[in-house]
Amino acid sequence: MKFKVTIFFFLFFAAALLLISAGKILYAPTPLKFSVPKGFPAPPTNIFTKNRLTPQGFDLGKKMFYDARLSKNGEVSCASCHQQFAAFATYDHDLSHGVNNSFSNRNAPALINLAWMKEWHWDGGISHIEMLPLSPLSAANEMGEKLDTVILKLKADASYTRMFKAAFGDATITTERMLKAFAQFTGSLVSADSKYDKVKRGEATFILPEQKGYEIFKANCNSCHREPLFTDNSFRSNGIMLNRFNDVGRQAITQDKKDSLKFKVPTLRNIALTLPYMHDGQINSLEKVITHYTTLNTGIVNLDPLLTKKINLTDKEQKQLVLFLYTLTDTSFTKNKRFAP
Amino acid sequence: MIKFSFLLFSIAIANGCMGQKKQATTPIIFETVCKGDISILNKNLVNDFGENYTITKLKYYVSNVKFETREKRKTTGDVNLIDAAKKNIISLPVTNKKNITGISFLLGVDSILNCSGAQSGALDPLNDMFWTWNNGYIFFKLEGNSKVSKADLHRIEHHIGGFKGSNKTMRKIYLPINEALLKGKKNLVIQLDINKYWNGINKLKLAEQPVIATPGILAKNVADNFDAMFSIKNN
Repeated sequence: MKFKVTIFFFLFFAAALLLISAGKILYAPTPLKFSVPKGFPAPPTNIFTKNRLTPQGFDLGKKMFYDARLSKNGEVSCASCHQQFAAFATYDHDLSHGVNNSFSNRNAPALINLAWMKEWHWDGGISHIEMLPLSPLSAANEMGEKLDTVILKLKADASYTRMFKAAFGDATITTERMLKAFAQFTGSLVSADSKYDKVKRGEATFILPEQKGYEIFKANCNSCHREPLFTDNSFRSNGIMLNRFNDVGRQAITQDKKDSLKFKVPTLRNIALTLPYMHDGQINSLEKVITHYTTLNTGIVNLDPLLTKKINLTDKEQKQLVLFLYTLTDTSFTKNKRFAP
Repeated sequence: MIKFSFLLFSIAIANGCMGQKKQATTPIIFETVCKGDISILNKNLVNDFGENYTITKLKYYVSNVKFETREKRKTTGDVNLIDAAKKNIISLPVTNKKNITGISFLLGVDSILNCSGAQSGALDPLNDMFWTWNNGYIFFKLEGNSKVSKADLHRIEHHIGGFKGSNKTMRKIYLPINEALLKGKKNLVIQLDINKYWNGINKLKLAEQPVIATPGILAKNVADNFDAMFSIKNN
């Protein structure tokens, strides 16, 4: 009898231990592999080391990205200004619309290959990809919602409770988890399958004007819009003068006069889809952008040293350059169902 | 036999509950005062330049709080958000009182934690101490109003932060203590005298600078006054 009771206690104890550890084992979301495309450099930091990429985390990030309810009036989502068909920029809008018919002060940057950046936004004010959503969520002229209200909205929705549990093991909804899930989605937005990439991989060939355009590109544009990311992610002054918002760009972040009117060099990937151009969308076609550079007043104060040498291109060369830029369009990115709502 | 298994069972449970050894701690209390007066929020205050003002909110970060001893001590890595509207007690492990030479902490958050991505607890952006447009934590937040302020609604808004380069605003605070000071004390009270915030190495006049909301030289000048604000309550 005594022996039986002892066994019973041991079994009970063992079962209790097993249950406790099972709680940890049962939460086992399949890891999702983040692959660096062929020819791409390794990202400067691995954004997924402290934020394990999983399908559940990615799906949660995507759901929030497309959820307009998170904005103050329920009308604006991240995707309102970052449209997939426009390579996650706002198509044909110099500035984007925020809540209550407000306007942003800058052109919505395309969300392309964010995992290769070290600082985000036109002025590099964002120091970590996970912190990227805080500004658009709360800025009065974007989604305009208070962070604590965003969290309350997520908590009030049973489908979010389920998805947070699937992604993080329990249903607790915190800022940290929300931001990590956002980063799993935005960090996964990789574009590396344009015609240019296919040519590089030997799967396609440029037609002659594209090839000529590529050579012009390499001779005149490649030092800032460096292959294969088509940006060196630096901050430069490209001759766009102070605009009506008195936007000094990088200087507002560093408080350094040398950074006056410096903005981040944007990627040229999918550039045909991300019109209009420049930090305030003031140039509405690729042809005019090229004209900006060929007619640039090289005496402008603070102009990037690389632009002080006059760029001379014939009309024909300019057209060839545009044709090359078209080869950077990646429809497998803009039509990827994985990134769609 | 039953007794024996019970014993085993209870030992196991006890072990589970007390996984960490209880270490002796000293409560460190952070108080805010103005010229000796405790509780400063929503009161009429006057600074040394004769400027009347009221503080409605005062929050600041204190990290790596530790006793300085003759031996080297590792930093704790703890980050605490002190809020003048609340009781602020930090429990600090204490080994040997005889060895203690002082207490030190960083006013602010070290640079790595400013760009480490999403964090919880004291560093949760929900605490409203994080700049979303120019990433980094606000180390010291003072809000209120004053008739001499020319800002909208006569407000005072000092959001002091910045962790890069020469304008960084985190400051290591070191307060010497000795055995006599600790004798018979159950806790240690660290006081921040807000009067010294305005009148320190740099003279900050409300009429001149009611609003500081970005990292930069102005914030740096404020941070240079941080050190002298703190003292250990002597009683």
